[in-house]
Amino acid sequence: MSQDEAQTTASDVTTSELLGAVKGFLMDSALPALSGRDQFNARVAANVLGIIDREQQLGPELAALDAAAAQQWLPGDPGPGTAPQQLSRALAAREIHADSHFFEYLKQRQLLVAAINNPRYASRKVAEEKWRDDS
Amino acid sequence: MSPDQLTALLNTELGESLAGKVPGEQVTQLERLSGGANNETWRLMWGSTSLILRRRPFSADSIDQLEGNILGLSLVDEAAVIQLATSTSVPVPEIHAVFDATHPIGEAFLMGFIAGESIPQKWLVDDTYEVARSRLAFQCGEALGRIHSIDCSELPPNIGPTTLEKRFTAAQKRLHAFGDISPVMQFGLNWLIDHAPSEASCVLLHGDFRTGNLLVDEQGLAGVLDWELTHQGPAAEDLGYLCANVWRFGQLHKPVGGFGEYDDLIAGYGSTAGWAPDLATIRYWEIFAALSWGLVCQTMGALWHSGNGDVERAAVARRRSEAELDILLLIEEWERA
Repeated sequence: MSQDEAQTTASDVTTSELLGAVKGFLMDSALPALSGRDQFNARVAANVLGIIDREQQLGPELAALDAAAAQQWLPGDPGPGTAPQQLSRALAAREIHADSHFFEYLKQRQLLVAAINNPRYASRKVAEEKWRDDS
Repeated sequence: MSPDQLTALLNTELGESLAGKVPGEQVTQLERLSGGANNETWRLMWGSTSLILRRRPFSADSIDQLEGNILGLSLVDEAAVIQLATSTSVPVPEIHAVFDATHPIGEAFLMGFIAGESIPQKWLVDDTYEVARSRLAFQCGEALGRIHSIDCSELPPNIGPTTLEKRFTAAQKRLHAFGDISPVMQFGLNWLIDHAPSEASCVLLHGDFRTGNLLVDEQGLAGVLDWELTHQGPAAEDLGYLCANVWRFGQLHKPVGGFGEYDDLIAGYGSTAGWAPDLATIRYWEIFAALSWGLVCQTMGALWHSGNGDVERAAVARRRSEAELDILLLIEEWERA
């Protein structure tokens, strides 16, 4: 690494950092200035930014998992919609034999969905401990 | 509606409604309590008496038009059921006034304030409530036994008996109406259909009897709130619902609501009902409760899309993932048992 590179100062701001900056504004500036329902909603809004941030990071892995599942369990024409919709409709029509392999897919999918939406939910820790090694 | 507008409307109405019952002349200290993504809850003073107003912030039409609605009863019917429950020794608030959807206040009812702690994060962990927690599972069983003994023929006509088959059909309709977005929810419904217990007779269920809707004091159960999901169904449903993971508020090692044990709940129920459902059936209804919570979250998302609600309601839609996780955990546990 040259001396010039070592002295470089970051000038770009990633999406994740932008979300963090807005979250900081909501929690540190807006929230103390608000009261009642608005204050409650400011906290909710800050949490929502966390969901967006985590979905940015984990969303592609989830989409790849769903696409692979659709390919494996819906060999014919899967019909319209996203991979989760196609799989749901095939399940409703009892066209998928939901064996242990399919259950395994659902578990791994759900670890990602839970990590995006509510990583602090108590059952997630239990699921992580039980299922991480299964993958 | 702003607090000032609501205060003005209540002042116009309550003088007559409360005359001779609750001394006072005008509303003071009206404040909206936090929580409640569905109905608003307001606390107010009338003279020196604390009262609680439950109000539905959107029109009845917007609910009726929502495909797959599971928001439950009108507040008018909810008030009628609470009044019925006062005939038992279940602790419920006194109803002072009821307003239907055509009233300027909106659909709402005014009830007495019961002293007690409602916030689970406090009473589930605070030492002050240690004795209360040790009694509560039995007391909840007792209360449910009493609620289930209420004569269903006295219920508002909207609260009729149903069957599991109808419930499954309704759940499937909702999953379709909400876009079939979750393979886990569909898997859960399929599993529940395939493992359904034999049909049991219908009783009046509270429908939302859980940590978060109970008022607790140092002696234990002080109040049973939020009757909007009241319906008829098998007794085991209410017991399983109370034990659902999502309502344990992180205290997963205490299966009854995050505070108690199955045996105490079942014994309490038996003491007032004269019989009790078996544990396997109760656990089946825990899985059903997980699916129901997921459907509530989806309903919140649909309501938000229809223009009703703020950022909280939009965020609750994402809590569907809690239900999905629990469906898989509970089914796995069941299959391995």
